[in-house]
Amino acid sequence: MRNKLLRRLSSGLLITAVVAASFTACGSKEDAGATTETASAESNEDSTSDASSSAGFRTLDEIKESGTINIGVFSDKSPFGYVDENGEYAGYDVYFAERIGKDLGVEINYVSTEAANRIEYLQTGKVDIILANFTVTEERAEEVDFALPYMNVALGVVSPSDAVIESLDDIGADDQVIVISGTTAETYLTKNYPDIKLQKYDAYAEAKTAFENGNGVAWANDNTEVIAFSLENEGYTVGIPSLGDNDTIAPAVTKGNETLLTWLNDEITSLGDEQFFHADYEATLLDTYGADYEDTLVVEGGKVQ
Amino acid sequence: MDIDILKSYIPLYKDALFLTMKIGWQGILLSLVLGLAGAAILHFRIPVLKAITGIYIEIFRNTPLLVQLFFIYFALPKVGIRITAETCGVLGLGLLGGAYMIETIRSGLESIPVIQTESALSLGMTKEQTFIHVILPQAISMSVPGLLANVIFLLKETSVFSTISLMDLMFTAKDLIGMYAKTIECLFLLVVFYLIMLLPVSILGSIVERRMRYGQFGD
Repeated sequence: MRNKLLRRLSSGLLITAVVAASFTACGSKEDAGATTETASAESNEDSTSDASSSAGFRTLDEIKESGTINIGVFSDKSPFGYVDENGEYAGYDVYFAERIGKDLGVEINYVSTEAANRIEYLQTGKVDIILANFTVTEERAEEVDFALPYMNVALGVVSPSDAVIESLDDIGADDQVIVISGTTAETYLTKNYPDIKLQKYDAYAEAKTAFENGNGVAWANDNTEVIAFSLENEGYTVGIPSLGDNDTIAPAVTKGNETLLTWLNDEITSLGDEQFFHADYEATLLDTYGADYEDTLVVEGGKVQ
Repeated sequence: MDIDILKSYIPLYKDALFLTMKIGWQGILLSLVLGLAGAAILHFRIPVLKAITGIYIEIFRNTPLLVQLFFIYFALPKVGIRITAETCGVLGLGLLGGAYMIETIRSGLESIPVIQTESALSLGMTKEQTFIHVILPQAISMSVPGLLANVIFLLKETSVFSTISLMDLMFTAKDLIGMYAKTIECLFLLVVFYLIMLLPVSILGSIVERRMRYGQFGD
């Protein structure tokens, strides 16, 4: 019996050790790749043309050659990225994505993302571009490369009209605020209001249902999103329309994918001449927000006013 | 891997581990109670309850835990039944586990030769005495490996709790990755903490299994 137990214990330890070793190996490989470009150039001598795919992304030429581009969008964040009644992707982000596909001359393969896995999808090369209402922040800019912005955003807090939260100080010690994992609202509240209890959800759809069920006293998210929610659902008021810094939303590509990044920046700049994003707003957001928000939300030609 | 990051994340993982274990053990306890009750009902062939138990088993064994949690957490409040996320987790896990436990214990009960029941009854013991003192102890000892497998299965199932906003191990890892993008560190800690939780269970299990063998009669 003791022998069997010992064997069991040692095999358990062995597993842990192997796992630890493999993770360490992964980590050091990545570090090496990031710091010593010369070394990786040398080791790539055998497979010269393959340099980019080993870095985990596809260059502009490779995308054009393959004939399809993978774009990560939301599937449940109306009116920015969602699946409409016909099962087609639609929304402000998707309108832009369609144009990218057209101007590149490739088919678009939409990949549905959640807030928390947007960086992962780029780093592992599952998508070429993330167009999922991705707010530009310093932390994220260390992990991915952002192109020029195409939208303004700040944080907002919505709450039921009969118990409106107008200041974050109104939130009691036992009250919970709903946030979505991996969003700027979560990071902002965690950093600046560590005492507020957060109730975290994976996806927009679940957070919305939970909020409607009354699981939290308020829902903190991008103000565009909470304004849309209060306009679409009766009995809810946006008590805090703007919170924290004003940020921008931009497309993101895998870190180091310069050819695609340059192309995207040129595209956004040149689309400014035809007021593309105003047309995008009128086609996708006008129904929800009305004309009042057009100038505050839209960023044209990559230049924030 | 960055050691400082690992260190700063460990307290969060520790909280998640405690939450996972708390819900896990309460759920497992509930599932054992349900399992025993259900198996007894099936054993004694109690008319109406037997049918209900059968339906319960089929429903909970043939739907994923995720669906059950969704139903309990998101659908019940719409009809006015409100429960906290933690209770929901315990309930979901307990009900799912119960269905499995019933079947495991039942297989143990059925493995005891009929002659033992007949002998006990002919010695003047009542049906209940026979069940509690003769059949059940042996059946439990027969089903220990199956019960332990169920326990480990249930502890691992806790990883779907993220959908109902419970900060279990899996969600903590995903959440930290979403906020700070330190993927390797977060996933490494995730594996380590699952092993910390489950290896002792597995080892303890093999000891219990050995001990319980003495409960068997006649081999």
